[in-house]
Amino acid sequence: MDFLLELLQILVFPGILFAIGLAFVYEWLDRKIYARLQNRVGPLYTGPSGILQPFADFIKLLAKEDVVPNEVDKPLFNALPIFALTLSLTGFLALPIMDLRGVISFNGDLIFLIALMTLICIVIMYSGISSANRFSTVGAERAALQLLGYEIPMMLSAISIGILASSMWVYDIVSIQANSLWFLIGPGILGFAIFVLCGQAELERIPFDIPEAETEIVAGWLTEFSGRKLALFRLTKDVELLYLSGLAVALFLGGPSGPVIPGLEFILYPLYFLLKTLFVLFLLTTLRALFARLRIDQMVNFSWKYLVPLAILQVLIVRVVV
Amino acid sequence: MNLVKWARLKSPWLLHFNTGACNACDIEVLAALTPRYDLERFGALLKASPRHADVLVVTGPVTRQVKDRLLRVYNQMPDPKFVVAVGTCCISGGVFNGCYNVYPGLDSIIPVDAYIFGCPPKPEAIINGVVALLKKLEAS
Repeated sequence: MDFLLELLQILVFPGILFAIGLAFVYEWLDRKIYARLQNRVGPLYTGPSGILQPFADFIKLLAKEDVVPNEVDKPLFNALPIFALTLSLTGFLALPIMDLRGVISFNGDLIFLIALMTLICIVIMYSGISSANRFSTVGAERAALQLLGYEIPMMLSAISIGILASSMWVYDIVSIQANSLWFLIGPGILGFAIFVLCGQAELERIPFDIPEAETEIVAGWLTEFSGRKLALFRLTKDVELLYLSGLAVALFLGGPSGPVIPGLEFILYPLYFLLKTLFVLFLLTTLRALFARLRIDQMVNFSWKYLVPLAILQVLIVRVVV
Repeated sequence: MNLVKWARLKSPWLLHFNTGACNACDIEVLAALTPRYDLERFGALLKASPRHADVLVVTGPVTRQVKDRLLRVYNQMPDPKFVVAVGTCCISGGVFNGCYNVYPGLDSIIPVDAYIFGCPPKPEAIINGVVALLKKLEAS
């Protein structure tokens, strides 16, 4: 019975099906908010208010021809989209949604979660290089260079919260924030800002969409992918968006916790999770609409000159508070 | 209507190709994508890579110089793919018809699914053309 319940948790709720469904809804919201900020309407005619748009895109791409150019490294080229999707879905399973702990939860899982994000970036790098296209290769190089820029401040800001909770377990971090309002809004606010900015870079969204800069290098590392593979990569990006906003919520905004009526936790926790991730999504989308693309050197400069010192300051603040 | 056909109708991604236009048609194509007309309402997105696109939007007279590139981009697109000729020059060569360096229309090079007349066509006409293409698909 326990085994069956666990399987259901992994496959349906709050697992893979839930993640994919929610990822499509979040992509739709992202596109809709982005369009509204640009005085447009956004997707409108695919389902009510266009809510089925990402789903339609996904199905269309699945049904399209899957071109494999002659020059590509075929095993890598075929396997990488699946790797990328698996990694992002694994990350989603570790997020606390129904409970203060995720489906996968163990002591030290914060390190595992951060490592997953780096692995996704490495998959992106390999997919650029395996495409054997000059645009893809440039995109892959840029993705790797960008990783050097945002990864360290992101890790520092995540670890500062770990120091605050004296634990590297997301469950401990969430429960310390659930029990005290001060830990929720006090010492971590700078870290939250850094985490959201670096998350934007991890997702390769507009101020940091350097690896797939349309106007310079076609579609960057994605250039050669078509049909099914492109569909999987797009889904990966959607799930990653959900995963990153969920992680930001778990680390800085108290995860799914909130005022609860005893006995109704199983409804209220997912509801709080949704509300909080929607807030983070709104921040990420607004950033995307407000800024223009930076150059790669500007991005790396910015992160080493400002983000890294600020992240170190965040660690110091936490040390003083604790 | 089956699911795949529905998805294809709802998400036509465009690739814009200029074969030597005077930029008037290009500006109108872009105007159709920007806030006032906003083609994203129909699910259309402008894509940079031919591998991601469904609809090739061609503007301008097809010159001998550009023919090989046009064919290469067309062949790079995954099936099913559609071609829309925008503007008089693209349809027939326009005022350049009969010039030694210009082909008499896009359909002498690649199969064309929809023609949009005008010099340049208004954004409304372009949207009408895309909708006509989708209608044709729906009927097929």
